[in-house]
Amino acid sequence: MMYRMESHPAEWIVRSAPLVFTFEGREVRGYEGDTISSALAGAGLPFLARSFKYHRPRSILSFANHDSNLLFQVDGVPNVRGDVVPLRAGMQVTAVNTFGGLAADKARILDRLARFLPVGFYYKAFHSRRHFPRWERLFRAITGLGVVSLDAPRQSTPKRYAFCDVLVIGAGRSGLAAALAASEAGAAVTLVDEGARPGGASAGSTGIQELVDAVQGAPRIQVLTGTEAAACYADLWVALVDNTRLTKMRARAVVLATGVIEQPAVFRNNDLPGVMLASAARSLVLRHRVAPGRRVVIVAANLEAYETCMILVAQGVSVAAIVDLRPERDADPQEPAVQDCASHGIELLRGSAPYAAVAGSDGVVAGLDVAPFDVVNGADAARVRRLECDAVLMSIGWAAAAQLLYHAGGRTRFDDGLQQFIPEEVPDGMFVAGRVNGVFEPQGRLADGRRAGLLAAAHAGFGSAAAVPAVVPRSGRRPSHAFPIVDHPQAKNFVDFDEDLQVRDLENAVQEGFDSSELLKRYSTVGMGPSQGKHSHLNALRVLARARRLGPGELGLTTARPMYHPVPIKLLAGRSFHVERRTPVDADHAAQGAVWMPAGNWRRPEYYARAGESREQSIAAEVAAVRSSLGLIDVGTLGKIEIYGPQAGLFLDRAYTGRFSDLRVGMTRYGLMVDESGVVVDDGVVARLAPEAYYFTTTTGGSATVFRELLRLNALWGLDCALVNVTGHRAGFNFAGPRSREVLQSLCDIDLGEAAFPYLGVREARVAGVPARLMRVGFVGELGYEIHVAAGSACAVWRALLAAGQPHGIRPFGVEAQRVLRLEKGHLIVGQDTDGLTDPLEANAAWAVSMKKPYFVGQRSLRILKARGPRQLLVGIEIDDPARIPRECHLVIQDGDIAGRVTSIVRSATLGKAIGLAMVVPALAATGTRLTIRGDGGEPIAAAVVPTPFYDPRGERQKAPGAA
Amino acid sequence: MSGPIGQTGQNGLQVELLSGRALFGCKGPRAADWLSGQGLAIPVAPNTWSAAADGAVVARLGTSEFFIEEGAAGATLQPLASAFAAAAVSGVYPVLREDWAFMLRGDDVEVLLAQLCNVDFVALDHARSPVVMTLMVGVAVLVVPQATAAGRQYRLWCDPTYGPYLGSTLQGVVGECGGTYRGMME
Repeated sequence: MMYRMESHPAEWIVRSAPLVFTFEGREVRGYEGDTISSALAGAGLPFLARSFKYHRPRSILSFANHDSNLLFQVDGVPNVRGDVVPLRAGMQVTAVNTFGGLAADKARILDRLARFLPVGFYYKAFHSRRHFPRWERLFRAITGLGVVSLDAPRQSTPKRYAFCDVLVIGAGRSGLAAALAASEAGAAVTLVDEGARPGGASAGSTGIQELVDAVQGAPRIQVLTGTEAAACYADLWVALVDNTRLTKMRARAVVLATGVIEQPAVFRNNDLPGVMLASAARSLVLRHRVAPGRRVVIVAANLEAYETCMILVAQGVSVAAIVDLRPERDADPQEPAVQDCASHGIELLRGSAPYAAVAGSDGVVAGLDVAPFDVVNGADAARVRRLECDAVLMSIGWAAAAQLLYHAGGRTRFDDGLQQFIPEEVPDGMFVAGRVNGVFEPQGRLADGRRAGLLAAAHAGFGSAAAVPAVVPRSGRRPSHAFPIVDHPQAKNFVDFDEDLQVRDLENAVQEGFDSSELLKRYSTVGMGPSQGKHSHLNALRVLARARRLGPGELGLTTARPMYHPVPIKLLAGRSFHVERRTPVDADHAAQGAVWMPAGNWRRPEYYARAGESREQSIAAEVAAVRSSLGLIDVGTLGKIEIYGPQAGLFLDRAYTGRFSDLRVGMTRYGLMVDESGVVVDDGVVARLAPEAYYFTTTTGGSATVFRELLRLNALWGLDCALVNVTGHRAGFNFAGPRSREVLQSLCDIDLGEAAFPYLGVREARVAGVPARLMRVGFVGELGYEIHVAAGSACAVWRALLAAGQPHGIRPFGVEAQRVLRLEKGHLIVGQDTDGLTDPLEANAAWAVSMKKPYFVGQRSLRILKARGPRQLLVGIEIDDPARIPRECHLVIQDGDIAGRVTSIVRSATLGKAIGLAMVVPALAATGTRLTIRGDGGEPIAAAVVPTPFYDPRGERQKAPGAA
Repeated sequence: MSGPIGQTGQNGLQVELLSGRALFGCKGPRAADWLSGQGLAIPVAPNTWSAAADGAVVARLGTSEFFIEEGAAGATLQPLASAFAAAAVSGVYPVLREDWAFMLRGDDVEVLLAQLCNVDFVALDHARSPVVMTLMVGVAVLVVPQATAAGRQYRLWCDPTYGPYLGSTLQGVVGECGGTYRGMME
């Protein structure tokens, strides 16, 4: 059992600062400098967690930030990583994956039912569609990990950008050397490490403190500890995550010195509390003064195992035996550390393997059964011997922490000598050093780090790469065992500790045909838990390779995707900026009772609430005001673009389907825009202000995209014209209704009479003393004027218009009323009544297309589409029963098949009908055709195809001088 | 080093919403010649700015577009606008500017900027008087770094319809950084 050791000058904990916290309701004492896990381990608790699937007791495995055993619920926050989160006084810590507490977990019975829960049992047992909802509820209830509080407040975190010449990831021996070398070359260096202090896994090793001191004294090196490099994206931008924020680091060059991840040996009960990685024990002893046990057995397959043994012995920890999987000849017998172990009387069992760990009455490991072992024949179960112990440390090999290399598009190959994936293709500007590069010896890691640092600095423009050695020789010895996996007839030899996957689970999956890395992962879920395969991918690959009689290199790893570690969503969300645009009269809308709705990234009044009116009544009253007298709507959200120059007309002829070079000065024309494939993408009104000056509008949602595309086309065509986007700088109002002319005339300095200012005309004038651009358009089907003014003058004009209209019962109207008004006129809305495949012919907008022009964007496609004929047509529909109307996107059904969809629908008080637009197959497009629309509950709704416009079909109200 | 990322200090970090300064914009192949002809010293290099005698900011956006903010003395824009209205010069086109303007200043202003946009302002060649056109918290902005006796400050402009959002966002961020916000959004 683990216990707290005597103090040591190099320890990270502060004995004079005890911290009291609770674990599972029980008071526990730790120290400042402890993590949650080290404090719990130091307190001697027998086990700290339950596993995800079988609810087996678990304790520390890796103590390295990717230990899924030790996720805790802390002060209501789920899945806090105990290995790395610093202890605070008063923390309330509970285990996850339990029902009724850690010790009395009711779900521990699942461990006894393991043979009934084989790999893939979900897919085999719970595929019934009928019963699936029940199973889903059951599994959601059983599923472990932390509990998310739906009442938790939104936490805003400060994201930031940062920049450096060279980013070094990993502050171990090679990373420190790389940072120093790059800095000495003149580069500004940022060195990041996920550990609380620099030094990495080498902390405490010979010479490492001198390196750390040199780095911390260097003028151009910034050291960020407690910071993970979570992802690497294009152009070498790296996501750095610390406890409080996400930093988007852009570096000119990146050095990956991310090291290796120690791998567990696979044997029966290798998950018992007290069985841990040797690197975990080293960190616990050296940093937090927590001994792994009082009688330790080390499972070995590399030199590091013996070095760990001597560190423990030097710290007063008793090591009973070293069980080395390698035969005598491969077990580094001449290495000083090996000889030291022998000279200390530690029993060395070579060519042996752990066959099974044995639990004591408290559930903690109490012994290790070992047996003779070789890779070909496995363990000799007939010659098992039990070693008494209370801790088992595993030091059998490593996996390269190359995930960031994969994120950046790099590739690796499997090196049979090292038994490790090593870099093969590295992206431009990225350099790899140290153990992740297959260089294990301390001096070699220093040299490799220096090499990578100098190359990175040269890439960033500091020094020359010519004098830098291209490579440092990789390790001659084998730091990882080729097959550290021991079969056992009773299984429970875990490959994946996150998902409780045993060797036979993987073998069964392969047997069932899931025999590639990717298939095996998805079927068995190996590597899909919180640690994302950091402890399981390599061993799973070895099991797969054995089953298929292939080498690991022939199978390859699964795809590594960001993030490297789990990252709290709050850090990804940052401050959650939600860009919102407001028109200049936004405050006036609010004062008039606007109920807001989003429109693109604008906020617009949906309608104006009035006391005593429901939403529907307000909208109906706004519609009625426009139809009977006067209404005013803010259309400042429309895109507004000016184009100037001798070839402005030619430009518009090419950009739009219609012709505008022949448009008379002072007049407007409807403009329809399609893309190269002939699909409708935008529409608006084009006004000619002068021979070489046009002003045109786009849809609200399309303004930015359209302007960007027009700029691209202008650069492409090289015409003599210039585009100006004034969308935000000009406000726009639609002043509409039979009274609009007479009221506007009272504020305007030009003649608004029919002869002077006809329908579709455009004029420059002053309205309420403000320079304004007036367009006589009829989107809502009444006499009306769009009034466009500079944003700074908008409020004055808006208020003047409302005041002047007051005697006539003017009402400001919102988007909903406008939807009704335009639909009564049968006007389509691009993006609502059209979709990503609709061409002008299908949208009944062929009249807006001038195929005689020499060229316009999409013309060639439209010729083809015209020859092919429409696949669908936009038609007006009238619902038989106005009390039962469908909703937008409801389907039109014919003979059991989908034959169209409703694109717009309203209940028109003006007409006393429910009307809409629908996109239907051509066979159903003829006027009078009966349609069946499927409602929400599947019930049929009867409708008929009718001609549009529904209201004022001859357009007299918007065109005729006597409209009022 | 370029782009330090340390703790934000408390020394005078401030965001101010500016108001009242008139703006003028024009573009076109003859815009530079016409402005020079009006006696205005215009920046030669694209994406740089210069200060007129009365303190007006004259920014050259790309090669053929100009943005001018009136100086404290208010002597530049009125004659320019009058001349433009009267002349109707071919190849010079008006650009309506109704931008909102902000000033960011203080010892840690670059730390604040690092939380707002992805331009490394520290690494700019300030001797060239650069103009930066970028996205800041999702909004297209025009930024002019200015050297003062108190240190560097950043004047920025945005489309007025983004002004309330940008202002309230700046207010929140500068507040979290221990600075202050002055202006209508307070």
